[in-house]
Amino acid sequence: MIAQQIINAVSLGGVYALLALGLAIVFSIVGLINFAHGELMTLSGYALLASLVLGFPFPVAVLVAVSCGALAAVAMERIAFRPMRGASVTSLLLTSFAVSSLLKVVFQNGISARPQAVAMPGWMTGSFSFGDFTIGVGPSISIVVSALALIALEIFLRRSVTGTAMRAAAEDFDVVRLMGIPASRIIATAFLLSGLLAGLAAMLWVAQRASVDPLMGFTPVLKAFIAAVVGGLGSLPGAVAGGFLLGIIEVLLQATLPGAIAPYRDAIVLSGVIAVLLVRPQGLIPAVRAQRS
Amino acid sequence: MPSLYRLHRAALCAAVFGIAAISTASAEEIIIGAATAQTGGLAPYDQPALAGLRMSLDELNAKGGLGGKYTVKLLIKDTRSDTAQTATVTQELIDAGAKIMITPCDADPSISAGQLTQPLGIPTLTLCGSAPVLTGAVGDVMFGTYPADNVQATAVADFAVSEGKKKVFLLTSPDSTYTANLPEYFGKVFEKKGGAIVGRGTFSMGQPDFSAEITNIKGLADKPDLIMTAAYEPDFPAFIQQLRGAGVTIPVYGADAIGTPTIKALGKLVDGVVYTAAGYAEPGSKLEAFNAAFTKYAGHAPESTYEVNGYEIGLILDQAVKTAGSDDPKAIRDAIAGLKDFEGITGKITYAGTDRMPLRPVALMRYEGGDGKHVQTLIPDAADVPAP
Repeated sequence: MIAQQIINAVSLGGVYALLALGLAIVFSIVGLINFAHGELMTLSGYALLASLVLGFPFPVAVLVAVSCGALAAVAMERIAFRPMRGASVTSLLLTSFAVSSLLKVVFQNGISARPQAVAMPGWMTGSFSFGDFTIGVGPSISIVVSALALIALEIFLRRSVTGTAMRAAAEDFDVVRLMGIPASRIIATAFLLSGLLAGLAAMLWVAQRASVDPLMGFTPVLKAFIAAVVGGLGSLPGAVAGGFLLGIIEVLLQATLPGAIAPYRDAIVLSGVIAVLLVRPQGLIPAVRAQRS
Repeated sequence: MPSLYRLHRAALCAAVFGIAAISTASAEEIIIGAATAQTGGLAPYDQPALAGLRMSLDELNAKGGLGGKYTVKLLIKDTRSDTAQTATVTQELIDAGAKIMITPCDADPSISAGQLTQPLGIPTLTLCGSAPVLTGAVGDVMFGTYPADNVQATAVADFAVSEGKKKVFLLTSPDSTYTANLPEYFGKVFEKKGGAIVGRGTFSMGQPDFSAEITNIKGLADKPDLIMTAAYEPDFPAFIQQLRGAGVTIPVYGADAIGTPTIKALGKLVDGVVYTAAGYAEPGSKLEAFNAAFTKYAGHAPESTYEVNGYEIGLILDQAVKTAGSDDPKAIRDAIAGLKDFEGITGKITYAGTDRMPLRPVALMRYEGGDGKHVQTLIPDAADVPAP
């Protein structure tokens, strides 16, 4: 039972970590908290649905969906955020809200206000027994995919030139530009990575929820934002730590709170967030340098 | 060219008379305000219901309007599924002269609209809000139209008992009246008839992850043979996906909000799930004829029984205006409140003697092989229905 809950916590934390990381990558470089990140997930979800309806095999559909998320992120940057480059944090924030609302309405009116069922392959709802407890295939995949994605991202950031440039840009963008590295490429790559992460997270999210709907991006982006803030805004390891922490707290509270207090779960989680920020105002693992405002 | 000249004069004549005809019609016009969700979480429920209502009003207008006398002008405003926005648009509709108000498929926004219509005595009907506390929370102008939650829950509980179910787990969410109370009504009837509640769990609407709750269900010492919930989209698909994914095969029963194409499209995942509907289209029934007519009207088949429920609201209003013999809101209200055994499409509808939540049949349905199969249709015994 306890082992089971730990698996649940790690599985949820992994998804939150992917989402928070997507937010953090963009924030560390452009200083933008992209609230339209959730809509990238929604878009990937619809892309998955469309690919499945068109009869693509499941792995191909997932590939198409994740690529759609990544490309949409790049397009979003090109269309909505590039014209705003250099604008204040507030303007950028409002722009992202605008993009988010616009996309939601487009999904509602263009596709359907009703959630659309996504038929996941049967093996994904299966489970396997391990000693005396059963582990669902879904949560296991979730844990494995999150871990692989985090490792792959780490390798990319440590070993590749673009990755190194991005880490440098997060610390001091101006110096990186003085080194002759084009700003647009760094920013586009940041959005591409965040879109990839959103697409992956969307696949795990949809696998657990069996439907996509126009508003499905709202909750995850909110959780990711909380996770990123707790971890330390702009810090990539912080985002991962924040994501796992949030997932673990949520599952533990859900598992242990007595029925009468259970409805206050979210309030308790958010109080915990405030407590963490009181002790560590810059987050668990603060970004290397304070953000330009 | 005398013939052409005559034709010209005839046309002119017709035009003049036409204008006269229109102006008399507008003198006998009644405005119905529809504060309903076109966007947001309630849109999947409000939209089908509103489509049914529009169809009936279009048909009635072709026959001279409500009571054969008052041409209906339907004003629709989007509430964005937001309770505060519902109040705002309701006020706008009142200012535009609405004499009858239609409100969303949920108690909370309907109550906020009712706060504005109650002092003015404007009869207010929720499209498919089914919380029995809804009408009491507003006052004598507020009417439910769909089978109430406690009635639906009693029907499902009666069925579960008849199947020999003994132990139930109730999954509720405090976030809406519907998700919070319906399973509890079920629990009351189930206990009264010899069943036991072996556990309770809660969720937040929009919650991504049900794993902790499901692990709790798996860990119950006293294993339930049934899970009852009023969760709907997108929570219901998430819950059942994760429940079955965790290897739990306990049957799950719900109510009307899971009788939708989305849930049906989940296929094998929802096999055995029992839910309720306002009616079932048996061959040769009025409902079957309605479904065919609606398909012709809207270009697609009805998604659920919300369409026919919306259509019946039009019929109820027509009858009420006929009885009232005027377009006076208070007279219309009294006429609706006095309806007894009114022949709708799904069966007899009665308001007289109720607290304005109608007495009407409930159809029990079960998903099997990706399709909703009819189990039975019943009107639960009023003595069994728990108080709101």
